Amino acid sequence: MQKFQRVNDLGLLTLAEIEIRPVLEYFPGMAETVEPVVLPDIEKEEQTGAQSELEPGYLVICWDDPVNLMDYVTHVFQVVFGWPKPKAEFHMLQVHNQGKSVLTRESMERAEHYVHQLQSYSLHATMERDA
Amino acid sequence: MKLIQRDGESFLFHISKREKGLLFEVLKLYPLIPIAHHRVSQTAAALGVTETQKLLESALADRTRENKRQLLAMLNQETRLQEPVGAHRLTLSGPQMEWLLQVLNDIRVGSWLILGEPDEKKGKPIELNDENARYYAAMEFCGLFQMTLLDALQQSS
Repeated sequence: MQKFQRVNDLGLLTLAEIEIRPVLEYFPGMAETVEPVVLPDIEKEEQTGAQSELEPGYLVICWDDPVNLMDYVTHVFQVVFGWPKPKAEFHMLQVHNQGKSVLTRESMERAEHYVHQLQSYSLHATMERDA
Repeated sequence: MKLIQRDGESFLFHISKREKGLLFEVLKLYPLIPIAHHRVSQTAAALGVTETQKLLESALADRTRENKRQLLAMLNQETRLQEPVGAHRLTLSGPQMEWLLQVLNDIRVGSWLILGEPDEKKGKPIELNDENARYYAAMEFCGLFQMTLLDALQQSS
């Protein structure tokens, strides 16, 4: 804030000077109000999981049955999900040994799509809401 | 039946007359799985996905109709099966391999359902009789043809 120094012959301020004089110089007892400094609201984003983990999701599950051939199941996983053979075999063996395998977690629409694909190959696949 | 040549996306199989007769007879059984057999969810009612179940059944019905159409086209297309002495040459494209796998597996799984879903691991053996014996044969033949197709795809990848 600029300091006020000049006075006229009467020791009074000219009108022009009064107009540019800070108001607080007329009321020295008045507490100066400091304009609050508003800083940009930048908050550090908390570390969270992937977005898909936060949204309500559906699990696409393939269930074991004694009729589908192991090589066939592996092939279907490769075709439907585009997985490399080792990953497809991993899930196929999980189905075979543990009775089921969670293949992916998706939105409802995507889960429906995958279930349709898997069932068109006659695999026992369902979608279940992720708790 | 075995793969004798692959040219890009075209697969050429050698198939004996007997195998050809078996394959075509088995394919006549398609489709065997009832559309309502497929469930979109084990807890469909609880999830409120009744609409999704209807969509699934509609999509599968469409797929089955398209598979049937292609199947009939294949069976009726004379040029697909060339006939050298004592055998046939069957030519299939990549997409045709995929739908033939689907068709064969429908017959395999459908036969298994008709047989009462036997499961030896659970002590539920196949109970054969005059009426269901043909489905046991169909199930096994489909498995053999599927393995041949899968081997051919594996060799080419």
